[in-house]
Amino acid sequence: MEIPRRDRAEIAISVAVLALALFVFSELSSIPAEGGYSAVGPRFAPMIVGIGLLAIGVLLMRQALTGGWRDRGPPPDEPLHAPAYLWIAGGLVAQMVIVGFAGFTIASTLLFVAVARGFGSTRVAHDAIVGFVLTAAVYVFFTRVLGLSLPASPLGIV
Amino acid sequence: MGGLEGLAHGFAIALTATNILWAFVGCLLGTAVGVLPGVGPAVTIALLLPLTTQLEPTSALIMFCGVYYGAMYGGSTTSILLNTPGESASIATSLEGNAMAKRGRAGAALATAAIGSFVAGTIATILVTLVAPPVAEWGLSFGPAEKFSLMVLAFMTISAVLGQSALRGFASLFFGLFLGLIGTDAMSGQVRFALGIQELFDGIDVVVVAVGLFAIGETLYVASHERRVVETIERIRGSLWMSKEDFRRSIGPWLRGTAIGFPFGTMPAGGAEIPTFLSYATEKKLHKGPDKFGEGAIEGVAGPEAANNASVTAALIPLLTLGLPTSATAAIILTGFQQYGIQPGPLLFTTQADLVWALIASLYLGNVMLLVLNLPMAGVWARLLSIPRPMLYAGIVVFATISAYGMRNSWFDLFLLLFFGLVGYVMKRWDIPVAPCLVGMILGPRADTELRRALQISQNDFSVFVTHPISAALLGVALLLVIVPPAMRWRERRRSRAAPTL
Repeated sequence: MEIPRRDRAEIAISVAVLALALFVFSELSSIPAEGGYSAVGPRFAPMIVGIGLLAIGVLLMRQALTGGWRDRGPPPDEPLHAPAYLWIAGGLVAQMVIVGFAGFTIASTLLFVAVARGFGSTRVAHDAIVGFVLTAAVYVFFTRVLGLSLPASPLGIV
Repeated sequence: MGGLEGLAHGFAIALTATNILWAFVGCLLGTAVGVLPGVGPAVTIALLLPLTTQLEPTSALIMFCGVYYGAMYGGSTTSILLNTPGESASIATSLEGNAMAKRGRAGAALATAAIGSFVAGTIATILVTLVAPPVAEWGLSFGPAEKFSLMVLAFMTISAVLGQSALRGFASLFFGLFLGLIGTDAMSGQVRFALGIQELFDGIDVVVVAVGLFAIGETLYVASHERRVVETIERIRGSLWMSKEDFRRSIGPWLRGTAIGFPFGTMPAGGAEIPTFLSYATEKKLHKGPDKFGEGAIEGVAGPEAANNASVTAALIPLLTLGLPTSATAAIILTGFQQYGIQPGPLLFTTQADLVWALIASLYLGNVMLLVLNLPMAGVWARLLSIPRPMLYAGIVVFATISAYGMRNSWFDLFLLLFFGLVGYVMKRWDIPVAPCLVGMILGPRADTELRRALQISQNDFSVFVTHPISAALLGVALLLVIVPPAMRWRERRRSRAAPTL
């Protein structure tokens, strides 16, 4: 007898799909069913999507519990390097939090340094200078040439 | 307007200084992102979508298409010179291409790739010129029922045909369909799934989803799972040209690759990956030259490179004539049209004849530009490969955040970007394809609308979808695509289980 290979993440993703299906169903009642002249209104498509997600979630879960998802590609060569992941995700969170008051250039320079750090760079000063020059150039291009608005830093120009 | 008349008119518009400039910018950017690992044409066009507020539709779309097929040219440079191919459509090229480069034949490999791309791209463009108008004419007869069935077919093929598992393809598709539902419904004005969050009333922007899933997801994956990958860049030695012998050996694979790639591009089966492998297998089977396959046979570079270019060009037929994107990148280009309130489809050839013919004319132009940009300048592009990875990916992430934040300066969009980045990582790590999600998100709302229109016209008679012959045929094919492969696997399994008892 083969012991079924269980991947906890596969189970978690299957649960997430099922949860999304339940969320869709729970919201259905707030969407009116009738749609003017048509028998199917704005509730019909969400219903189909909910049923689909439910069926897919059940099938994914069944595969996950009976030997794992079928036909998976080879696993990555290296296991997850958590610090790298956290540097990048953390950089994005930091930028999101400070961009409003620190301005685009400063927040993005911080993000640049964090991502570079995630990729193993330890030259913080070098990365900060490259990041600042890049984001300042991008800032000028997007705000002056493309006419998009991005928040300026408290220092002024960029 | 007929093909040739339309084309002549299109050239008149495409050859204005502004449009030549934007075609050039598109080709330049396309080649660059094709060369660079970690960023592909879908993300690049998504990042460029804000330009639609500044540019004329013709110029913007000419540029987007330049990026789209330019990336195929650039991708070959990476797959030949680097031991890790940049995009899935150039994996087949890398098999022989990298082997050739290791043996000091990088110049010939780059040349056959660039010229093959040009030959295939040009032949495919001629076919687009000839085939697109009649297809659009045929598409004019489509009512809402046919349009709905066509989209169902697209959903099935992109989910079930591509990737390792149809089930995970459908998981991605339905996630995308769900994302498409969020926001205000076009037909009834009802807000769905917005949870009272003001930012969600207009729906989630495709740019945020595409850039998050591809760029951020890819960055997270590479940073946390591919740290020890050592990239070795092969030097270009010798001349960037082919001998007579190389030419003689390349012509067959170029033409066969074009013949294989073109039909695949027109089908909603998504991407240029399958035809490149088919072309590779074909050339391997036909091969009887001096260099063995696996040790750097030029045929193995010439065929797949022609196949991927023919395929991406052919994908413009369903996109322009039926409004049907067959790959993630095509889906983003479709969004580009929608930014201008233009809906690609059969009517495009009558209502936007100037735009569509200028676009097709620009393809001829773009292929010439790309040949010039890629062949003599391959060495310059190879330099891009020496950008240190920390700088490259940090730059990609910063650009990704601008596109998300620049739209309405809301931190909520950065939050969504991060969220879809995490989802993109999970999808890549656990083998869930991304393309079905994007296509589902972009086409889903239209399928919803066409479904309700069809039912309004038929007075709620669901049988319209099977009594209209075209609609019935489309749904039939869609059904077969879902049923046949698992049924065949099941028979196979039963046979192999029965075998030992015989």
